[in-house]
Amino acid sequence: MLNDLLIAFQAVATIENFLIMAAGIWGGVIIGAIPGMTGTMAVTLALPFTFYMQPIPSILLLVALYKGSTYGGSVSAILIKTPGTASAACTTLDGYPLARQGKAGKALNMALYSSCTGDFISNISLIFIAAPLALLALRIGPPEYFMLMVFALTTVAGVSGRSLLLGLVSACLGLLLATVGEDMYGSFRFDLTVDMQGGLAVAPVLIGLFAIPELLKIVVFRNTETQQAMQLGDNKVTRAELRRSIKSMLKGSMIGVVMGAIPGIGPSAAAFSSYGEAQRTSKQRDNFGKGEVEGIAASESANNGCCGSTMIPLLALGVPGDVITGVMLGAFMIHGMTPGPMLFETNLNEVYMLFIGMLFSSVLLFGAGKATMRFFSHISRIPPGLMAPIVLVLCLFGIFSISNSMYDVIVLLAMGVFGFFMFLLAIPAAPFLIAFILGPMLEENLRRALAISRGDPSILVSSPITWLFASLAVFVVVITIRQQLKKAKA
Amino acid sequence: MKRALSLAAATLMVTCAANAQSYPSESVTLVVPYGPGGASDLAGRALAESAREFLGEPVTVVNQSGAGGMTGARDVSRSDPDGYTLLLARVGMALSPAVNANSSVDWDEYTFLSALEATPMILAVAEDSPYESVEALLEGIENNPGAMSYAASGATAIDGFTVQTLLSDAGMDPLSAATLVPFRGGGALATALLGGHVDFLAIAAGSLMPHIESGDMRPLMVYSPERMDALPDVPTAQELDYELAGQVVGWSALYGPPDLPEDVVTTWDDVLEQVAESDSWLSRADDRGSISTIGSVDMATYAQEQYEFYRGLAEEFGYLE
Repeated sequence: MLNDLLIAFQAVATIENFLIMAAGIWGGVIIGAIPGMTGTMAVTLALPFTFYMQPIPSILLLVALYKGSTYGGSVSAILIKTPGTASAACTTLDGYPLARQGKAGKALNMALYSSCTGDFISNISLIFIAAPLALLALRIGPPEYFMLMVFALTTVAGVSGRSLLLGLVSACLGLLLATVGEDMYGSFRFDLTVDMQGGLAVAPVLIGLFAIPELLKIVVFRNTETQQAMQLGDNKVTRAELRRSIKSMLKGSMIGVVMGAIPGIGPSAAAFSSYGEAQRTSKQRDNFGKGEVEGIAASESANNGCCGSTMIPLLALGVPGDVITGVMLGAFMIHGMTPGPMLFETNLNEVYMLFIGMLFSSVLLFGAGKATMRFFSHISRIPPGLMAPIVLVLCLFGIFSISNSMYDVIVLLAMGVFGFFMFLLAIPAAPFLIAFILGPMLEENLRRALAISRGDPSILVSSPITWLFASLAVFVVVITIRQQLKKAKA
Repeated sequence: MKRALSLAAATLMVTCAANAQSYPSESVTLVVPYGPGGASDLAGRALAESAREFLGEPVTVVNQSGAGGMTGARDVSRSDPDGYTLLLARVGMALSPAVNANSSVDWDEYTFLSALEATPMILAVAEDSPYESVEALLEGIENNPGAMSYAASGATAIDGFTVQTLLSDAGMDPLSAATLVPFRGGGALATALLGGHVDFLAIAAGSLMPHIESGDMRPLMVYSPERMDALPDVPTAQELDYELAGQVVGWSALYGPPDLPEDVVTTWDDVLEQVAESDSWLSRADDRGSISTIGSVDMATYAQEQYEFYRGLAEEFGYLE
């Protein structure tokens, strides 16, 4: 295998390939950083170009775009409190407070280090343990998915801020809103207009919830604080900070690798779970949400930790886990390769070239991140009063460009007003978003599991994997209740 | 974005009717009403690639998924009939209005430009399944009503009807003899069978062929007018005398908004005639496991037949009151 890898190395290490990957990563970072434009969009737009390219460079371009955009989402999460992609939502919680404290550079650096670490570990896992992870992924059926989602939802406890009760209210509202549209059996729920039959898309809800309330706050309160630019200054991640974050970073990478390998879960759920896990176990627990670098490390290592392993089900089983790998499947097939177990027999050389290329892309991600950071960090010098309208215009264009529909723009604005009222009532937005994203997976897998068992709920605890997730969830709930009781006493 | 731009450009051109240019003078947008990477997307992109050469202008593919394909279909049906916005139609465009009383677009609210391809569907079980033939599978289902489960996109989706028609042909209740477990997308459906979470399924060939070739799945029957080249030993539903199942097949077609001008229709007739002969179109159809049907079917008649067939099934199975 090592010899084959070396041959593949020679084939991949060409100037053209590097340029293609660098362009992909860079483009991805910028697209990911613009709220409303997502990695899915970048990959879809790039697909037609790959028809004219060699097979391996074309896949590498798509992978590079995906990785870049996953990291890019954190840039806007930190600088303008609007996650560029849903998976960076938890990065906002600590990144933006850091930026307000004049530590935007520190936050951006931490995000980059963690993203690259997660990315690298994910690539290594893809290369060396793809087969066992693919087998594990196949074992995850509807009951296992359901329990995994229950566990992921316990993150709500961690991101609720001051009041757990308000956090739960927020999460319930999110679950409720996730039910809008056509359900899996084809009946329509809350379809007030024809457009609503398609449900609410994640991007307009996400951006409406985070970006618009900021603007409304400035318009309504006119406080002087918003006139001032944030100070730059504290840019370096200190060695002590790195040391205390390393555990969360590694744990986050592992969570990202495992969740990325399971089809259909995706980086958002991984980032949420990792953030929740880091917050429960950190010594700096009380500082989470106020500007803790460890929170950024957890969230960013997990979402980029998905980038490599999301290719595992695609390459080893031939099943795309999400839209992005779906597009990659299309790109493979255009070039006459069919991903799946046979690929390792028929196109082993190409597979190794892909692996090597992906390893390089982790390094390129670091370079592109560093280079863009200098440029982006100036954004924090723009006073929020000026920034907010710019962000609004970007969001409107971004959202409209995804679907070309005014409906999504209306959802964006409506969610913005809704988010502003939530802010007035001190209801935290993060639990809402987490529940909104996980809600459909939770519901659909519960219904699937019960369909398979013909209504017998014992299927939900029928395998060791379900026991594992169920006991983790129970554990978190117990810990949370104990912490609340202690707080009440104190 | 591109579509918005091209729409704007197209509108501009219509308003400036003074300089009457011949069609097409701008890139044409082809709306694929499902997500990227799937069978419809690949068909749309293959058509776009093959057609640009003969059309003289690029064809831009835009994915507009939602509501089982009806969101994109509705947008095209309601767009300006200038020939710059077309739809990669699928069987869903005839099926959805047939089974759903509140469908946002009716089956005939289009200009039918041409049929494109037939995409076979395959009835398959996992490699470790005890069932070696359709008869054995049906017997297993009959012996234990409701115990066996199958994966499909939905009860009234094409891959739900593949199984329900078969059950009905075998004299069983199509809705309760086997339990439907809905999954979203070809990848998730295939995974459900590979992971052993359901017992069988009957979905588009494109999603199953890699697993059949690798030996992880066993094909039992093909829903197609003729046997597939890649699976010469697997019988078709028609050969096995399943009356309803024999009529179920996936297809793609090219639609436009209603009342397309005559010159647009003739331009596309010419273009598709050339596409039908082109190597790139035929070889890509082969790669996907589909059969090109350009020029061999009158699309307006076929769409109506399909609509009536699924309407009949929906009434028979009790989806419509």
